[in-house]
Amino acid sequence: MDFSSAKQFDLHRRMVRIRLFEEAAGRLAESNKLPGFLHLYVGEEAVASGVCGALNDDDHITSTHRGHGHLVAKGGDFNRMMAELMGKSTGYCKGKGGSMHISDTSLGMLGANGIVGAGSPIAVGAAFANKYRGKGQVAVAFFGDGSTNIGAFHEAANMACALHLPIVFACENNEYGEFTPRDKTMAITDVVDRAAGYGMPGVIVDGMDVIAVHEAAVEAVERARQGGGPSMIEAKTYRFYNHHGVQNLGLKYRSDEEVAIWKQRDPIFTFEDRMIENGVATRANFDDIWAELRADIETAIQFAEDSPYPTPDQIMVNVYTSMTGAN
Amino acid sequence: MSIVGIIVNPNAGKDIRRLVTPATHTSDGTKVGIVRRAIVAAFESGATKVLLMPDRHRLSEKAAEGIAGNIVLVDEPLSGTRFDTIAAARRFWKEQVGAVIALGGDGTSRDVAIGWPDAPLIAISTGTNNVYPSAIDGTSAGAAAAFVATGVVSMSDVGRRSKRVVVRVEDGDKSIDDLALVDLAFINSMFTGARAVRDPNTVKAVIAAVATPASTGLSSIAGRIHPVGRWDACGVFVRLGEGGRKVRVPLAPGSFITMEIAEVRPLELGEEITMTGKTILAFDGERDLPVSADGVVTARVEASGPLLIDVEKTLVIAAQSQMFDEQARHVTNKDLYTSPEEN
Repeated sequence: MDFSSAKQFDLHRRMVRIRLFEEAAGRLAESNKLPGFLHLYVGEEAVASGVCGALNDDDHITSTHRGHGHLVAKGGDFNRMMAELMGKSTGYCKGKGGSMHISDTSLGMLGANGIVGAGSPIAVGAAFANKYRGKGQVAVAFFGDGSTNIGAFHEAANMACALHLPIVFACENNEYGEFTPRDKTMAITDVVDRAAGYGMPGVIVDGMDVIAVHEAAVEAVERARQGGGPSMIEAKTYRFYNHHGVQNLGLKYRSDEEVAIWKQRDPIFTFEDRMIENGVATRANFDDIWAELRADIETAIQFAEDSPYPTPDQIMVNVYTSMTGAN
Repeated sequence: MSIVGIIVNPNAGKDIRRLVTPATHTSDGTKVGIVRRAIVAAFESGATKVLLMPDRHRLSEKAAEGIAGNIVLVDEPLSGTRFDTIAAARRFWKEQVGAVIALGGDGTSRDVAIGWPDAPLIAISTGTNNVYPSAIDGTSAGAAAAFVATGVVSMSDVGRRSKRVVVRVEDGDKSIDDLALVDLAFINSMFTGARAVRDPNTVKAVIAAVATPASTGLSSIAGRIHPVGRWDACGVFVRLGEGGRKVRVPLAPGSFITMEIAEVRPLELGEEITMTGKTILAFDGERDLPVSADGVVTARVEASGPLLIDVEKTLVIAAQSQMFDEQARHVTNKDLYTSPEEN
């Protein structure tokens, strides 16, 4: 498995890009510069980065309501993302979708999704198409633990296994479905216990460790690419901010102590420490990377702020597709 | 008071090896069933109290639901990590538990041994490729544990001291004492990552307390050329590298690879091996502790592990003592289970 210094820096860069984008989006939302809901991915960066770091550009992913991280990890463009969050015409959806609907088919990103659980069946469709095309492409469905209590997930898992499709189910188990602890909605603790019921292997990895996630993702993706069929990775992770936005909105559904314990395991900072210990990087290297990517974020914010809103005559444009086949 | 303690590791049997090999997935439901059978059998066989380790998955609580015996979930803070097992084992020692049942893999038994070095132990395998624990049903384990805890069967007749690899790491200002029950491996890797050792090219050396050709995993490397049994008064050291025998090894279940062994030699009990240089130490098959280039690792095999209880022998002695006769029963099924209304 490739854990060259270049690969380590690649995984690190993906995580830092996500962190900086999300922190900036959070600040903008708090200052009322972003319309609509905002579900931040901060804390879960290792999952999207570890998985997408195992994918090719033409592999597909489907995402969730907490979807910025997935697109960033797949190579999403900061300018178009930030413009979309601000509702500007230069955004990914020309300002009509907002946070929960961004897609970029050129990157194989088939869309964030405001409907919990709705991404998995779309990934199954992509996986079916990929199998039909026979070019070795793989689809990954990102989803949360809460979505596995929804019928769409079960239909997707069943069909993927019945048709032996090249798909990886990547579960981000952050212990809460919105504001509800997992144990209030599920009689089991590990989502992978459900995988066996459909006939696919499921494994648990530390979702705060990008190397652990990447190791599993490489194996699962390769398995799917070689015709081995579906599998599930359950990454135990945690969101550092609220279900949506930054503030807790007065809803004390998890203790400060719990949040603090998880923050001690910050996936980026712990990885940086390990890279330094291994002699792969220096603190100065990381300072440069953070500075470079901060500048990219500032550019994106400026780009978005300078961009126009869509005009009223565009209201029905690009709403319905005229396409007859997938890209 | 005749106390049986039960530990169940919720994390065992679900790691990355299921993606790359046909390793068994052990669900929470399977573990709950084993614990439940052990609790029932322990009371059936004379235990007056069962202590359970709490865990984040609440497996022990679920297993105990509806059973009316004297069952206590020990009051320990939960971390969701291996330290829950270590803390529970230590607590069991303080509570004078007569026999411990531990469900998990080699690593779970290792954690029990850290918390209670002399634990009278029945280790049940719910992990991936376990050497130390065995495939024992909870029904038999619970009964055997109770017969030992009550003194009906003496530990001197059925308990046997297992071996362990005693490890000391001196690394800068860190001085760490640790142990393995099966093997200590030196891994050429930068990260602990997904924990399980899967890449044969990263294995530099293995010190094994037990190494049999019937096992799977790191210890099977030595086991295929210099077998060392569970009760043999020795260990074995292997160094991987060019110039030696090439051996087909099941490094994971159902997965064979060729490994080239540069050196193999038996180790007397207490004989120290010293290794230097940057590495990651894998304890009982899991990458766990990074050691820097300046670090020094010393390790030796000792006969100072937990006291393993021979379940079959225990039950044979109990049978010979007529402990399964109706008049010897300590409880009835009616006593054991509460009705749903009573819950």
